[in-house]
Amino acid sequence: MREPNAPSRLRGLDWVLAALAAAVGPHVPDLPAWVTLLLLAVCAWRWTADLRSWALAPLTLRVIVVLVSTAGIFGTYRTLNGIEAGTAFLVLMAAAKLLETRTSRDLTVVVFIGWFLLYAALLREQSLSQLPWLLGSAFLTAVALMRVHAPSAQAPARHIARRTLQLLLQAVPLALLMFLLFPRLPGPFWGVDSRSEARTGLDDEMTPGDVSDLSASGEVAFRARFSGATPPPEQRYWRGPVLHEFDGRSWRRPSAQAFPQPQVTFRGPAIRYQVTLQPHARRWVLALDLPSAWPEREITQSFDLTLLSARPINNVAAFDLTSHTNFTAGASLAESMRRKDLALPRDGTNARSVALGRELAARHAGDPRAVVSEMLAMFRQQPFEYTMQPPRLADNAVDEFLFDTRKGFCEHYASAFTVVMRAAGVPARVVTGYQGGEFNPFGGYLIVRQSDAHAWSEVWIEGRGWMRVDPTAAVAPERIQGSLIDAVADDEPVPGRLRDASPIWMRIELGWDAVNDFWNQRVVRFDAQSQFQLLDRLGVDDPDWRALGLGLAGSLAAFFLVLSTYLAWRYRPPRGTGPAGCTTSSSRACASAD
Amino acid sequence: MRRLLRDLRARIERRAHAWIRRRQGADTDPVELRRQRIYILPTRLGVAYGAMLCAMLLGGMNYNNNLGLGFTFLLVSLGLVTMHHTHGTLAGVQLRLLEAVPGFVGSDVRFRVLLEHSSNVARPALEIGFTREEPGSVTADLPPRGSSEATLVLAAQRRGRVALERFVVSTSHPFGLFRAWAVVHPAYSAIAWPRPAERALNPPLTATDTGGAQSGAIGAEDFAGLRPFQAGDSLRRVAWKAYARGQGLYTKQFAGTDVVSHVFDYESLAGLPAESRLEQLCRWVLDAQEHGEAFALRLPGTSIETNVGPAHRERCLNALALFEARETARA
Repeated sequence: MREPNAPSRLRGLDWVLAALAAAVGPHVPDLPAWVTLLLLAVCAWRWTADLRSWALAPLTLRVIVVLVSTAGIFGTYRTLNGIEAGTAFLVLMAAAKLLETRTSRDLTVVVFIGWFLLYAALLREQSLSQLPWLLGSAFLTAVALMRVHAPSAQAPARHIARRTLQLLLQAVPLALLMFLLFPRLPGPFWGVDSRSEARTGLDDEMTPGDVSDLSASGEVAFRARFSGATPPPEQRYWRGPVLHEFDGRSWRRPSAQAFPQPQVTFRGPAIRYQVTLQPHARRWVLALDLPSAWPEREITQSFDLTLLSARPINNVAAFDLTSHTNFTAGASLAESMRRKDLALPRDGTNARSVALGRELAARHAGDPRAVVSEMLAMFRQQPFEYTMQPPRLADNAVDEFLFDTRKGFCEHYASAFTVVMRAAGVPARVVTGYQGGEFNPFGGYLIVRQSDAHAWSEVWIEGRGWMRVDPTAAVAPERIQGSLIDAVADDEPVPGRLRDASPIWMRIELGWDAVNDFWNQRVVRFDAQSQFQLLDRLGVDDPDWRALGLGLAGSLAAFFLVLSTYLAWRYRPPRGTGPAGCTTSSSRACASAD
Repeated sequence: MRRLLRDLRARIERRAHAWIRRRQGADTDPVELRRQRIYILPTRLGVAYGAMLCAMLLGGMNYNNNLGLGFTFLLVSLGLVTMHHTHGTLAGVQLRLLEAVPGFVGSDVRFRVLLEHSSNVARPALEIGFTREEPGSVTADLPPRGSSEATLVLAAQRRGRVALERFVVSTSHPFGLFRAWAVVHPAYSAIAWPRPAERALNPPLTATDTGGAQSGAIGAEDFAGLRPFQAGDSLRRVAWKAYARGQGLYTKQFAGTDVVSHVFDYESLAGLPAESRLEQLCRWVLDAQEHGEAFALRLPGTSIETNVGPAHRERCLNALALFEARETARA
């Protein structure tokens, strides 16, 4: 029987607070600090109030907290919509709810918010490595819920945890079936927020001379699985955004794009492969230079030959592509394009570089090939150094780099080269993307990391069209043949150096990457097509949506049947009920019965 | 609007109860809660949980996010699993009436119900009440193969037999998302005794040693001594002279009061309404019992011979309660 005067302490409060903390954990790096601090303060206050039997917050205070925090969120994000602002809003709602938790129902609401926060974490980040934490938090949240609704305060936590685990494990089979069979409808039904959040990846702006943080990241940018042989390293140029506009310091993509599509002809063997991109929140699809075929429904090609997805890539996305490394692009150059790719700032910055370009043009009487060769020879012969830790550059960045510091990485070389080419009257542009990649023997695919990010130049030559020129290859051929580690000095901190020194560690990491790739391919990217393939393999002829629906209904029914049978068995009366059973069965069971 | 909803709810509730009653028929003690008679619906929290899952499902589909969907499916599945467990917690419980405890009108009658089961798994958080909406008055935890007692309390509003028409055993274990309930229509009834009258009239006295009918007046003749005043004593018998002397309140005792037996007769209270007579008789019975005096009870058509003791008292009170009583029912 329930005590008439129940103790004033709210049952399960400590568990709910712990579960909430675990659910908020993954969001802390992205939350505004004041949100986290507010939640912490409220949790601490609520817990103390429970211990000391303090009075809870009056209505006016709660209303003020809700209003102020809503305004705060709006001020921070300029919206209440979207995952990020929504998450912060949820956290504040949990804090506001904690101010008035009096009953088990209030606590249950907090538990629900905890679950929603975990769900939001999954929407934002789908990596395998965060899964254990999230599942653990979900379990803790379920334990908290059972604690809140436990029959008596005396029930030991151990029992409750075990019971919750049982229930969760029983829920797994049906969850799996639903995951496999629930129809995946294509496309968003309402506007997906274009995420402003920073994701690691290429930018549509490049400023040589600023600190490069991309190369310091060992994160995977994408993986490529070739159906034939993997192309050799020097052909692994992955085309990303092309930058045309230069203001003396930074390169940018043109804002208004109305340029004619260049003609492209391909020669040689086709290379077929699948690219699986990690979400980077931008539209470009990295393709081996130069893509010749792509899924037309999802991808378009820009005037500067970069593949663009119809939507920002916010989830792991895979595309089947075909490329030819032997190609001619843009036999003729539109006048508007030529003007764009010859433009230099007219404010007199980088004067020495511009003078160098004019000098080269004069010397070779406008033969662009000779101009290119001489510029590359200059990089090769003069004491240029390839380093990931170049000195900072100021206003005349190209001049400083070419004539003073002479230390830099791909961005510096590509930028300087392109500026000199333009000054020499050769249409030129900067192409950013990735170069290289590491073959993973465990999965049979190429891993391209953020540290493989690269920038090179393209020059347009009459009769030849756009031609790739990689000035970095002239300075540090090891960068193109091998990887970043091979190209820079031994004491520079570059991701993966430790790993490369230890074969065992390397195998472990490649194995883990293969597991992640499997996760991406089979779980994160599981879609309607995978569902039909699955049904097909299970022997369903000509699988369609109806087959999925029937399968779902069937598995629900089967699950209910199995669970009911199990429960009937669980609560079964012992064999030989009544006193007769006592003489034969264990006396302990009889003694325990009243 | 709220009232409309509440009325609608109440109507649905009545119809549902009527339907369940028709479907199950009356129960005979002991009652086993078989699977077929256990109903289950989501609680308000369960509905909120469902709404949350719908939002998650829509979001997961919109973002084409498999992990979000997977998490949603896990929670959906967890909800369905707990639904079965909630149902299973109740199925197979047996109920038996231990005792129907009578009470006076104005207080309450009680039904002590034993919940038992024979399975090897505990069934926690069983709740017993009169409707599904107000379940939580009494909770019981059933240990493995054990039993637990719960008491249902009914206000005794009218004299007579109070039948427990219906009660509800329910549980929302383990997560509070669903409530499974079973409606029991037991053949339980308890007796509501008349409300005892204020101490105003003195009981008729009868000295059994002299035999025959004795007039109460005789007792007033021979002064025998004083005893401390008790509530209900006639003011005419108070020893005012002793009180005036500052000795406190005393009641004069007379030789004739040395009686050991009363006859409480319904007919002797002519002039009072029927219920008041019964209430007066009830008061006399209680007082006599309290003072250890023997008494007999005469009601039209019923006569209970002189006796003492709790069983006798209860027999007399029951006779008073059931005298020309209509059966009242509750719940």
